[in-house]
Amino acid sequence: MAQIIEDKARGQFLVPRRAFTDKAVFEREYEAIFNTCWLYLGHASELPQPGSFLTRTVARRPILFTRDKEGNFNALLNACPHRGALVCRERKGKSPAFMCMYHGWVFGSDGHLMTLPGSSGYPEGFKSDPQKQMVHVPRLERFGDFFFVNFSKDGEDLATYLADAGDYLKLLAEHSPSGMQIVGGTQEYAIRGNWKLLAENSFDGYHAATNHSTYLEYLKNTKGALGVDPLSGVARDLKNGHALVEYSAPWGRPIANWVPLWGEEGKVEMDAVYSELLSRVGAERAERIAKKNRNMVIFPNLVINDIMAVTVRTFFPTAPDYMEINAWALAPVEESEWRRKFRIYNFTEFLGPGGFATPDDVEAIEKCQQGYAVGGEAQFNDISKGMNRADGWSFDDEEQMRCYWREWDRRMANVEG
Amino acid sequence: MTLQETLLLRLRVEELLFEEADLIDQWKLDEWLALYTEDAHYYVPPSDVDGDTASAETSLFYILDDRIRLRERITRLKKVGAHSEHPRSKVRHLVTNVRARQEGDVIHARSSFIVSRAKDITHDLFVGHYLHELVEQDGALRIAKKTCVLDMEALRPHARISIIL
Repeated sequence: MAQIIEDKARGQFLVPRRAFTDKAVFEREYEAIFNTCWLYLGHASELPQPGSFLTRTVARRPILFTRDKEGNFNALLNACPHRGALVCRERKGKSPAFMCMYHGWVFGSDGHLMTLPGSSGYPEGFKSDPQKQMVHVPRLERFGDFFFVNFSKDGEDLATYLADAGDYLKLLAEHSPSGMQIVGGTQEYAIRGNWKLLAENSFDGYHAATNHSTYLEYLKNTKGALGVDPLSGVARDLKNGHALVEYSAPWGRPIANWVPLWGEEGKVEMDAVYSELLSRVGAERAERIAKKNRNMVIFPNLVINDIMAVTVRTFFPTAPDYMEINAWALAPVEESEWRRKFRIYNFTEFLGPGGFATPDDVEAIEKCQQGYAVGGEAQFNDISKGMNRADGWSFDDEEQMRCYWREWDRRMANVEG
Repeated sequence: MTLQETLLLRLRVEELLFEEADLIDQWKLDEWLALYTEDAHYYVPPSDVDGDTASAETSLFYILDDRIRLRERITRLKKVGAHSEHPRSKVRHLVTNVRARQEGDVIHARSSFIVSRAKDITHDLFVGHYLHELVEQDGALRIAKKTCVLDMEALRPHARISIIL
């Protein structure tokens, strides 16, 4: 249907452009990928107390993510068992129960039917009938504070699925002695392009110099924003389609990579953060956490970029040429007001619809999508950079994308076309 | 305040807001920046917080610029390498429902906006309200703070605040 072509002898890796445009491929992706892979739902810090809840769309399904009165986390399909209306219509909040606005059925935050008006019209035992309860997502698991759902009852557990990406989630957790939290405020946007283009773009080290020339010039222009480290690093296969690039870069990091723009107050803060890191995790990990940037894609659609700030980003297609994106900032719970302020300042400098870089990524993705309309003889994308390198892949090669595409190809081939 | 004073204040504020809108629409970005004080701030909060009260020091925003970054924003926008705006889009700001009140040296203005951005195959709208804080400097009104609160559920179906709202 749309298979990749990998020819090691010729150093060639080709992705058919039908993978980005074909409606049948798109529908098969839901079956082969979104209905079988572990998908990011949310972070524990978003539901701080018993009764906390939020609603979110995951793989086209409306989900109600709750903490019940025992403090347990639940992922419920947000549809009333009675007639199917959305039970919770708010984005987030705190409530011990949810009443469907259509006929007034009331559900606990673990999804069980508590009361219903006019119960005398129903047979005895109706209320406890399993079919009358809100439905739990088949599987909900957590890795650290990251919650994932799986719409398939069977299959590998989350930790097995995450493979080596789990090590990097642990490294991220080590940013803080007291835990990480989602900073309030969500960047919610959309791109008129195929969703896999954003996965590629999110860890594409090759495009920075041209696509983001104005951002790099901004760092040079702005007195003190430019650090001393050049762009350089490696790409790693994390198995199961997950991959990352790890590299040094000239921008400041609020996890102890100071730049002069932050002033003496900032230097004192960053020195303190670094020495805490050093005493807690040792020199090797402290150095990596503070100085190295990591762009990681967890197959199929979770991006965790630990760069000038930490962003958690997930996205779903609603059509071959359209995706909806949610992006959050992740930060140490205990960080000072100064450090939080600079983290958010740093985040918005590069990232998101109003940043100095993301709009140009969006332009690139949308222009790719438009370019695919040529069809005909121009059928393939080239993802072969660095393919036959003998001494390991550079961060600006394309091995990380090849890892992603091999998994995509494998999963798509598993489903009857 | 008498009705006449209220109207005069509003007219004065409207004059500045319309001037600002016109300069952005014409891509006269240096002239636009000159309307801002040296310690000015410019904000665009996200849609899932109360944009009237949210703080960019504790919440993720779309844009939180001090004067330095505002200058760098327009420096960037004028470059060929600002791909999202090259060729530049057609932009039109409609600013209405202007209300203004004076508190000490600061004039607080609220207004409604619709901003249209058209570029090649796309045409997108931004809808919301502005909160301006204006101060008098050298006999003219200048913008000390502008918050563009989007009255939208998300930046969809588009993604780019690559223009000045």
